[in-house]
Amino acid sequence: MTNPVLKVRGLCKHFPVGGKQFVNAVNHVDLNISPGETLGMVGESGSGKSTIGRVILRLSEPTEGSIEFNGQDITHLPKSKVRPLRRDMQMVFQDPWSALNPRMRIRDLIAEPIKLHMPLSRSERHDRTEDLARRVNLSTSFLNRTPANLSGGQLQRVCIARAIATDPKLIVLDEPTSSLDMSVRAGILELLAEIREETKAAMLFISHDLGTVRMISDRIAVLYLGEVVEQGQAEALFETPAHPYTQALLSAHLPADPRIKVTRHVLGGEVPSPIALPPGCKFHTRCPVAIDRCSSVVPGTLTVPTGQEARCLRIPDGGNIIQRKEIA
Amino acid sequence: MSDAASNDVIDQVERSRSSKIWNRFVGILRLSPTAAVGLMIILFFALLAIFAPWIMPHDPVAAYTDRVLQAPSAEHWFGTDGNGMDVFSRVIYGAKFGFGIAIPAVLISLLIGVPVGLIAGYRGGLLDEVLMRFFDGLRVFPSIILALAVVAATGQSLLNVVLVLGLLDSPVFARVVRAEVLALRSSNFVESAIAAGNPTWRILFVHLLPNAIQGAMAQTAVRAAWAVRISATLAFLGVGIQAPTPEWGAMIRQGAEFMVSGQWWVGLYPGLALIFLVFGLNLFGDGLQDLMDPRRRTAK
Amino acid sequence: MTLLEVEDLHTHFISRDIDNRVRIAKALNGVSFSLQAGRILGIVGETGAGKSLTAQSVVGLLRPPARIVAGSVRFEGRELTTMPPEDLNRIRGAEIAMVVQNPRTSLDPLTRVGDQLVRLHQIHSGGSLEMSRKRALEMMEAVGIPAPESRAKSWPHELSGGMAQRVLLAMALMNGPKLLIADEPTTGLDVTVQAQILDLLRDLVARFNMATMIITHDLGVVAHFCDDIAVMFGGSIVESGPVADVFAAPVHPYTRNLIGATPEQFQKGRARTLGGQPPDLYNLPPGCALQSRCEFATELCRTPVPNKEIAPTHFALCHFAGTLDEMKPKEARA
Repeated sequence: MTNPVLKVRGLCKHFPVGGKQFVNAVNHVDLNISPGETLGMVGESGSGKSTIGRVILRLSEPTEGSIEFNGQDITHLPKSKVRPLRRDMQMVFQDPWSALNPRMRIRDLIAEPIKLHMPLSRSERHDRTEDLARRVNLSTSFLNRTPANLSGGQLQRVCIARAIATDPKLIVLDEPTSSLDMSVRAGILELLAEIREETKAAMLFISHDLGTVRMISDRIAVLYLGEVVEQGQAEALFETPAHPYTQALLSAHLPADPRIKVTRHVLGGEVPSPIALPPGCKFHTRCPVAIDRCSSVVPGTLTVPTGQEARCLRIPDGGNIIQRKEIA
Repeated sequence: MSDAASNDVIDQVERSRSSKIWNRFVGILRLSPTAAVGLMIILFFALLAIFAPWIMPHDPVAAYTDRVLQAPSAEHWFGTDGNGMDVFSRVIYGAKFGFGIAIPAVLISLLIGVPVGLIAGYRGGLLDEVLMRFFDGLRVFPSIILALAVVAATGQSLLNVVLVLGLLDSPVFARVVRAEVLALRSSNFVESAIAAGNPTWRILFVHLLPNAIQGAMAQTAVRAAWAVRISATLAFLGVGIQAPTPEWGAMIRQGAEFMVSGQWWVGLYPGLALIFLVFGLNLFGDGLQDLMDPRRRTAK
Repeated sequence: MTLLEVEDLHTHFISRDIDNRVRIAKALNGVSFSLQAGRILGIVGETGAGKSLTAQSVVGLLRPPARIVAGSVRFEGRELTTMPPEDLNRIRGAEIAMVVQNPRTSLDPLTRVGDQLVRLHQIHSGGSLEMSRKRALEMMEAVGIPAPESRAKSWPHELSGGMAQRVLLAMALMNGPKLLIADEPTTGLDVTVQAQILDLLRDLVARFNMATMIITHDLGVVAHFCDDIAVMFGGSIVESGPVADVFAAPVHPYTRNLIGATPEQFQKGRARTLGGQPPDLYNLPPGCALQSRCEFATELCRTPVPNKEIAPTHFALCHFAGTLDEMKPKEARA
């Protein structure tokens, strides 16, 4: 097995908030991503998924744990040493309108990473910028415009062009299609799939939308209150989800086809505050199959027959599968 | 692509509009009458300053000793002053000083204030505290007293006045830029720039500066008004500008003496000129802030 | 029973730009639809299609430079576009209720939640405070807010997204509306909370027999919670009809692309991607707004477009509605 591009162990991020309290955004997360692999990270609000993306790229400092990128421990590297590494680890943000400097031309925005990291002459940079624009299906007539003149889908293509400009080994995508209209999303996802094929870059695809994640991921990690509650091959996770939260999440997704029958588990209550984490299994306050032990014992990681790893005390007795109710 | 083609056509049509400037002016007038009126006043004085040599009926420093303190007449529209010099020509020439002091002073303020605001806003922490306290200190001092002290120490010259004014007014720009930077530094495009691998100096000057400078730009006209007013005050107090230089503040000083004895024209006209220029600059600055605020943009 | 009848609504944004030119954005171009009691209409479309603007036009919440330039909006036979403001105010908040996006910013941050409900009831009913308070608690229970008595004392910033949305729903119901308009009621909420809110909404519609309009960009919501669908593009409704019919056999090229671009279709390998920018409302082409993006566009598309009847309740705004399968699409546009 080849060395993973990214190896994260025991990652924690706690934000201090007013005196003694902390927002426990990320709690002991372990992740691996291999070259050419796409790991989809799914979660709702409070899951910590966006925070993890930022901490991995050292845009935010980890409280505990280790981050290994390309075999190098970058957890405590000084900022000046992290900067040159950014050639190989890039990010695509959620909101393309605010992620681009409104006063710069598209051409300069795409060329910026090249200028910062690659010793190319001006004309070589010019050519590479045009190649990148073509690569992301952006007409070169847009290169001399400013972001205000482009649509959301086009802007996101610019962001993707920026992210792949230096041929990075790892690309973190934080909800790249969530701000875009439905009709535009598919195009962006197609583009990302193509790029993945060509560049063999490892991708961390963060999203709250299961439909999107399913289309692009090889493996999926499901997050709840800063913990990975289930992780495994995409198909297996979608066909036979092991963790009760994964099951509820999957069932809450509404397919855009009225003929598909929806069987749902509607979870009661809302996500607890990350400042006051529930004891034991963090999901127990909303779990339809929780038992007494769940409120005091933190579940360890178990492997289920279909291959995923999940953290639930009821896996051994089979009680982790919620009975489905059909809803019209 | 048809979108690109239609946009090109639009670009061409834009360029060929011959009455573009007039329409732009009317557009500004509708959106902010204050800006338009202020602009007109400033332009009026600017034209005076530029074309002074051709408009002045007399040499501003030519002393007609036989016509001292004459009331306004056909020959001397604003009368003559205590040295027999034509007040009208002197008032026109004085416009040069108004701009000649205000513009360099504001530029110096920008040159000092903007980088300080950028760095203080971005870095925060101790550096921010120290810089801002120092600048607050500058602002607390009555500017006239401070200016008097500095010019007295360094010598009477126009250059010193300009430098002092520039320094004294830089805190305003520093504050405005710092406020914008504070708002912008956690915005997504800055984070994106950091993620792309930009070093701090590029973040400050390539990314933050063009976006943070808007507020400062809106302030320039108002601060120019301040510079004109203060320099006139200093001249009035006898600092910086020496007689017989036709600067409005100095002229008002002379005029004040004669006001009591009934020769009102010596001080009134330069006074009015000063008031109007400062008024125009303030109006324009005000209106500019209106224009810059996108929420107030739509005219009915 | 038809509660709301919108006919040929045109809303434009008329302003002057900094160069003193008059600029007109034709944001709604001949929108027509009706709402029946007890039925839910889902309005979908991309950003800028005119969905929210339609709602605002109906309840008279347009602000300059937007204004209705033509068309009629009839609520229970009464014309709303020409109604004097005092009469319109009596209807708004009482007979017609609206729930918007961003629930937390829609609530008055300086008033306790319960008091806001009471205030709304008092404006329209003028009964005793006791009566209004009782009703407020009833409505909070109806929308599934646990422990209503203590919740009523909360401040808006203390509420989570889902809770705030429930409060907005309670506010909408306070005066027993006949018509409910919900603008993106679940956007921004977690998927698991969305499910709760949507179930609640459907339940309330059935219970109070309200005519309901849901504006959303989520086709899944429309597919499972709406009876009828109206697809908007460039200020017009390009296709409308019962949900089952339109999803099973979409007729308009835009709808076909929209439904084809969902994850489910992508999975089956049938994704069709619709490139191009949103239409420039300041410079709409003559005829169909979709021309520059449509793979089937011909010269005919520059002429006024007919609203063709595919079935008694299924309509599409296209010259070629119903015949697309026989046509050959042009080369995919860049």
